[in-house]
Amino acid sequence: MAKWIIGIIIVVLLGAALWYSGALSSLGLGMSASQTPTSTAQMATTTQQAAAPQPENGMAATNDASDAAITQDTAAVDAQMQGLTSDSANVDSSLNDKQTAQSY
Amino acid sequence: MKRIQYLTLLIAISLGLITLAPAFAAAQTAAVTTSASVTLTAAEKTAISRGDTEITRRIAALNDLNTRIQAMQKVTDAFKAGISASITNEVNTLTTLKAKIDADTDLATLKTDIQSITGSYRVFALVLPQGRIAAAADREVELVSMMSTLGAKLQARITTAQQGGATTTALTAALTDMAAKLQDAQTQAEAAVTASASLLPDGGDKTKMASNDAALKQARADLKTAQTDLAAARKDVTTIVSGLNKLNASANASSTTQVSH
Repeated sequence: MAKWIIGIIIVVLLGAALWYSGALSSLGLGMSASQTPTSTAQMATTTQQAAAPQPENGMAATNDASDAAITQDTAAVDAQMQGLTSDSANVDSSLNDKQTAQSY
Repeated sequence: MKRIQYLTLLIAISLGLITLAPAFAAAQTAAVTTSASVTLTAAEKTAISRGDTEITRRIAALNDLNTRIQAMQKVTDAFKAGISASITNEVNTLTTLKAKIDADTDLATLKTDIQSITGSYRVFALVLPQGRIAAAADREVELVSMMSTLGAKLQARITTAQQGGATTTALTAALTDMAAKLQDAQTQAEAAVTASASLLPDGGDKTKMASNDAALKQARADLKTAQTDLAAARKDVTTIVSGLNKLNASANASSTTQVSH
């Protein structure tokens, strides 16, 4: 009887070891976590594809170094510089804000 | 007999006074209340008007800031959501306060509510500059990114000119300076956000108020340094583009001369 119990324990331990090492994954029996890296990798790939470098804020294509592209980029930079001037004025305004007197 | 009549009369008058006393007192109280109410209504109106003006001004400023925050490009959605939540919370607080002030019917409550406008100002006085600083820093980081892209293109053009035998020492120097300025602008913009983003309302604590004020001023100084860096980098772009144009012109002139020979 004891031999049977030891045998069952050994079989169970071997099965657990195989399951943990992912050796059964090829049979579709592996732990679900083993699929995670694949899913994550797929997601990362998808994200990378979605987040491929795009011209930003009116800039020309990243790989375009022509005169026209440089002119376009310079204009886009100047537009943002103007926006920064506005942002900067808003920072000053917010720091210098005084509340209206509320006593009466 | 006359004494009895006098006594009866006195008792009657006394009883009458006693009976009438509450009514008289009530009438007097009513008169005071009415009188005070009339006087205080004018004061209340002025106070309500001032309170409404102050609250409306703050709500408009916060809503404008929220719109700007949504347009930020270089921060995470979580960062934007955090600032936006603070703004929305403050707007809701002020909106509720305004409604309460408008509905107040006695001076004591109104005074308390008006005073809470001043109390809430401590939150407003922090949230507004925090958001404005974050927005300006975001724009600066965006500009660093854009000019870096442009710098890579200029680098390619300088390399091409070098390969064509042109002297590009001045252009390369300008490009190197541009890179250094952009690097510093990035550092300063990040420092501005670091100095200001984690500040908490002082709640009337003068020490905290002073440290918040110092941190916001430091952040402002960082932003100005970054802005100066970006302006210098922009000048470098002009120098490089102008230099490249001159090289192109001289190259064209040279080839024209060669052809004419």
